[in-house]
Amino acid sequence: MIARLRSDAPIFTGLTLFIALTAIPLLTAALIDPRAFLNAPVWQKPLQFHLALGIYTLTLAFFARYLPCRMTPRRWRIYAAVVAACILAELVWVGGAASFATASHFNVDDAVMGTIYGFMGVFAVILTSASAVMGVAIWRNPKTGLDPAVQLSVALGLILTFALTLIAAGTLSSMPGHHIGTPLTGAALPILGWSREVGDLRVGHFFATHALHVIPLVGWLAFHVVPGLARSLVWVTSGAFCALVCFTMWQAFQGQPFLPWLG
Amino acid sequence: MTPETLFNLANPLALAGWAFLLAAPLAPKVIDLIAGTVIPLLLAVGYSALMLAHWSGATGGYGSLPDVMALFTNPQIALAGWLHYLAFDLFIGAWAVRTARSHGINHLLVLPHLPLIFLFGPAGFFTFHAMLTAFRAGPPRAEATA
Repeated sequence: MIARLRSDAPIFTGLTLFIALTAIPLLTAALIDPRAFLNAPVWQKPLQFHLALGIYTLTLAFFARYLPCRMTPRRWRIYAAVVAACILAELVWVGGAASFATASHFNVDDAVMGTIYGFMGVFAVILTSASAVMGVAIWRNPKTGLDPAVQLSVALGLILTFALTLIAAGTLSSMPGHHIGTPLTGAALPILGWSREVGDLRVGHFFATHALHVIPLVGWLAFHVVPGLARSLVWVTSGAFCALVCFTMWQAFQGQPFLPWLG
Repeated sequence: MTPETLFNLANPLALAGWAFLLAAPLAPKVIDLIAGTVIPLLLAVGYSALMLAHWSGATGGYGSLPDVMALFTNPQIALAGWLHYLAFDLFIGAWAVRTARSHGINHLLVLPHLPLIFLFGPAGFFTFHAMLTAFRAGPPRAEATA
């Protein structure tokens, strides 16, 4: 399993391992550090980022097997290395801010942190672009060995992750913070941290970014259960998924929590 | 020699070692000798002398946290402790540079770990090992057993 991932995507596989291993000291710090920032333990956000970006790089490493052979050489490697550098920069930034118990995103009061925040926005676009680049390459690849419906679902999932994340995260970063509405007492879903009392723009970002999991999963299931309808189902699911992201964003702007009865 | 004088000699000495390590690919063998052996040994001499002269007379001990803290209230012992950090961190830095080279890992990828090892020794040691794992480099090879 790991050997296959390594041979298909050495950089993303190595990066996944590095992200997972460096989460160990963060987890230990979370156990001994009582400090909080904005009602949450300071190390919660870095741990969420390690988890999320680790899942992202692992997913890219998995889908790399469907890339055309000619993409393995030099140019792709350089691009993957740039993406890896952006991911590491984001993790260092979020972890560094946490160690000072200050904000990483939305930190514009401090000149230095404000400048870094700007750069991190650029890095975030670059790191997300990897999914679009892979999605288009897989879309065009005539020799993935996949059923056309499954191939379509993988390609659409990857491309929509980029497109929807760009919209959801771009909107999020143009606001002064991720919460919309009052009163804010701090009630939140476990692990995800979404507010249970006001609008939370991170919900849309979450769903947008997970298009590369949901749509290929639906494509794979549809291919095994209703092969004749699989292709249509992939398109319908993709459309519905875009609608879901739009809905959660609209909901947040109304100041409403996502599924307040959850948790 | 006052503790301050020795402190002011040891810091630039260690810094010189780190500067050499950053530039290690320019002269790998010479720099490995200087930063990995010569400078740590000079610091080891300073450390040993301080401990020989002051350890028996110091209060505190190794058995409990208050004992260790009491030990470091003595300036000579605290200085010895500082030399201990400088010597071993530099030694680990040189080891990291050597290990990466023996695995064919580009020196540029070692550079981010060096300031970490210099300032927060074990943290850099950890991240360097995480990187070795990422490269599937595993435990360091027996280095040029010639």
